[in-house]
Amino acid sequence: MKTLFFIVDKPLHGDVKAQEFLDTVLMAAAFDQRVILLFEGKGVFALLENQQPELMGLKNVSPILSALTIYDINDVWVEEEALKSLGIEKNQFVIPAKAVARDEIKRHMSLADHVFSF
Amino acid sequence: MKISIQINASPYQHQAADTAWHFIQAAIARGHEVYRVFFYHDGIYNAARDARPPGDERDIVSRWSSLHSDKGVDLVVCVSSAQRRGLLETSVAKKVGGYENALADGFRIAGLGLLMEAVIDSDRHIIFGE
Repeated sequence: MKTLFFIVDKPLHGDVKAQEFLDTVLMAAAFDQRVILLFEGKGVFALLENQQPELMGLKNVSPILSALTIYDINDVWVEEEALKSLGIEKNQFVIPAKAVARDEIKRHMSLADHVFSF
Repeated sequence: MKISIQINASPYQHQAADTAWHFIQAAIARGHEVYRVFFYHDGIYNAARDARPPGDERDIVSRWSSLHSDKGVDLVVCVSSAQRRGLLETSVAKKVGGYENALADGFRIAGLGLLMEAVIDSDRHIIFGE
């Protein structure tokens, strides 16, 4: 089993890349790999509840986030510093996420077998 | 070393396909094994058979085809990325009445499972383009 570290640093809607990226995350879990999913920078917006992309004619991708636990993806992390700088609280999120500091993120990233971003 | 490659950007508008191709040439020349090239997101346009760049420019698509025919490198295009963007496998195109000859020689269409297999089996997985 490998440890695959996935980084979301962009919002969920606007283009299709985040949605396709999450497909890769789910596939990694389906292959029984250890998955760490980190939301950092503006990617923190992806976790916010009450997204209404339907107003722009886009598919709502938020339900995919709720499916993460079904795939046994329990390491969902959010960058602590980004939370502070964006003024976002964890209770605004659609799923639970663990706040992790940059130093700790860096350490785990260096231990991972592969790091993915998009 | 066993290396797998992922290309996320369309050709010509981004440098990713060029950089990846040169990287692969260098890796093979140094005796490394390129296990698979996986085309994802807009990277699927690297497989568009009907790309016709001007004669004095590099032909990115046929360059990939040659990589497969000359070096046997496995070129895999993500099925969901491709279908969303209008690049259909022949059998699917027949079924839905689409263009049946969209895919250039040497490419095959498959699911994300082949990406994950490449990631798991390779020593390095290198992504070009965002």
